[in-house]
Amino acid sequence: MSEIFTLALVFSTIRLATPLVWAAIGGLYSERSGVINVALEGLMLAGAFTAAAVTFYAGSWFIGLIAAVMAGALTAAVLAVACIRFGANEVVAGTAINILFLGLPAVLSGALFLSSGSTPQIPQENLIPAFADVSVLSVLALAVTLATWYVLYRTPFGLRLRAVGENPEAADAAGVRVQRIRYAGVIISGILAAVGGAYLSVGQSSLFTRNMAAGRGFIALAALIFGKWRPVPTMLACLLFGFADAVTIQMQGVAKLPSGEDVPVQFVQMIPYVVTIVVLAGFIGQSRAPGALGVPYVKER
Amino acid sequence: MRLLLALAPLVSAAACAPGAADDPSRVEVGIVFDIGGKDDRSFNAAAWAGVKCAETGFLPDGRTSCGRPPLGIVLRDVEPGTPTSIEPAMRAFAERHYDLIIGVGFAQGPIMEVVARDYPDVRFAIIDGVIFEDDGKTPKKNVASLVFNEHEGSYLVGVIAAKTSRTQTLGFVGGMDIPLIRRFAKGYEEGARSVNPDIRVIENYVGVTDAAWNNPGKGKELSMAQIGRGADVIFAAAGNSGLGAFDAVEQAGTENGRARRFVIGVDSNQNGVKPGFVLTSMIKRVDTAVYDIVKKVVDGGFTGGFHVFGLEGDGVGYVVDEYNRDLVSPEAIAAAEEARTKIVAGEITVTDAMAQ
Repeated sequence: MSEIFTLALVFSTIRLATPLVWAAIGGLYSERSGVINVALEGLMLAGAFTAAAVTFYAGSWFIGLIAAVMAGALTAAVLAVACIRFGANEVVAGTAINILFLGLPAVLSGALFLSSGSTPQIPQENLIPAFADVSVLSVLALAVTLATWYVLYRTPFGLRLRAVGENPEAADAAGVRVQRIRYAGVIISGILAAVGGAYLSVGQSSLFTRNMAAGRGFIALAALIFGKWRPVPTMLACLLFGFADAVTIQMQGVAKLPSGEDVPVQFVQMIPYVVTIVVLAGFIGQSRAPGALGVPYVKER
Repeated sequence: MRLLLALAPLVSAAACAPGAADDPSRVEVGIVFDIGGKDDRSFNAAAWAGVKCAETGFLPDGRTSCGRPPLGIVLRDVEPGTPTSIEPAMRAFAERHYDLIIGVGFAQGPIMEVVARDYPDVRFAIIDGVIFEDDGKTPKKNVASLVFNEHEGSYLVGVIAAKTSRTQTLGFVGGMDIPLIRRFAKGYEEGARSVNPDIRVIENYVGVTDAAWNNPGKGKELSMAQIGRGADVIFAAAGNSGLGAFDAVEQAGTENGRARRFVIGVDSNQNGVKPGFVLTSMIKRVDTAVYDIVKKVVDGGFTGGFHVFGLEGDGVGYVVDEYNRDLVSPEAIAAAEEARTKIVAGEITVTDAMAQ
């Protein structure tokens, strides 16, 4: 056991939780404004691919990150227009974005790099810097979480965001421009999820590969629900999922059965999923979604 | 919204083969890749190099000659985005009566078994899989099963790893936990133990689904955990996820101009992926095997059944080239060569984890 619970486990947890925190906090802005965001996975992929491709050409992770943010904002804007302007079903529209980004990076990388879904490897010195194995983006993730708490509960924008997500009619009557706030919420979610994606490709790894988000967008969504749509609990939920993942990594090939044999890999790898189910089904108690989540708002004339 | 939904199938269709080749005089070859996709710089990449060579005489970069003549074939390829799109792709080729349909990877075995039964006049080849007639014993006669003795090649890199390791702790990062990858692990471990029976080998797998081939972040975390436990040579047999191991050893840095930790590449020659950090690569000559089977179809000499590629005939092996010549000691190479001779002569039998 002492070989599993080490300082390395703490760092590993932080590294694995970082993309989840960015995506989940992003999703929070969208969902708090009343727009379901199942597109986090696609938004992460958009950010990951753009960051890797631009960093490769520009030779600077910072430019890559800026480009990823723009790609995330643009993709989210498409989602926002579909859902807010045209009242599309938010789950369907989000799923469409996810499917789109399974294929689009393959097409683009074919055009740019003559490959089919991955970018060339980026030299270590051009990647997002890390100190003692902890990326700059991990530290910023904490800052963004705290900033989100402040914005949500201490600023007029946060009040409006929450009001629009709970009861758009009342907010509208009070003079809040519901659709504008929702656009802002969705686009912010795209920006933050794209940063999480950029961390995957040019922070944690050194290239983009097809579908490299590998379900992290959905885990982030689960963390958001587990965190009851509040910033700090959401971050803690991400850390829990990161921890479960890190434990499986540290345990593999180390944990022994009483008989002296290795614990089967399949059993170890089950842990994150069991944690997800147990946590979502049993331990969170009442988790109430924003009142108007998933309900398009049509202003009465 | 409707536009978005309409776009999604378009994008996936763009990756598929266009219409059938029209020139009936030329041999038409269709290849269906594994989920990893053809630029995994590893297994699929090797298959792609083989068919590209048969088509053009060049490697996929279009500039370097592959050292063999082009065979004048018409080539179509499909990269399935999900496991469910493998069968339709294979059937589409069969329906158009392609002269040879190549399936890349063990996962296509059950699919090809069904398709090959439905199209008995079409010739198939599967890499890393074996396909039988319905009796479960006789090899299917319209399918060439191209299999490699990975355990033998892995044994040799295990010897090199054990001879190189200063900590006498080795790592193994597998992709999806399947018998085929266990075969790499077992051979590697046996090779290492032949040098030092007490050597520690930490064996990890990225996952248990096909997403495990495409998760470099997790591959890196596993490698970092192994490095944390003292592993200084890591054998990565994990497709794209293996590239995470390359990142991890690079991040561990150098000492007096020599890398502190090394990675061993797999399937293709990966020595040049991170020069200085790649000890060697356990290559599977998938490219040669694919080229040869295409050539047999062109020459009319195609035969179904098992085609086994082992150490003998260099179907598997390790690479020493300009990137790693200074990393591997002559002593390690001598030990590996000795092991090779003994395995070929039958003096050493490497355990085949798939046969168990």
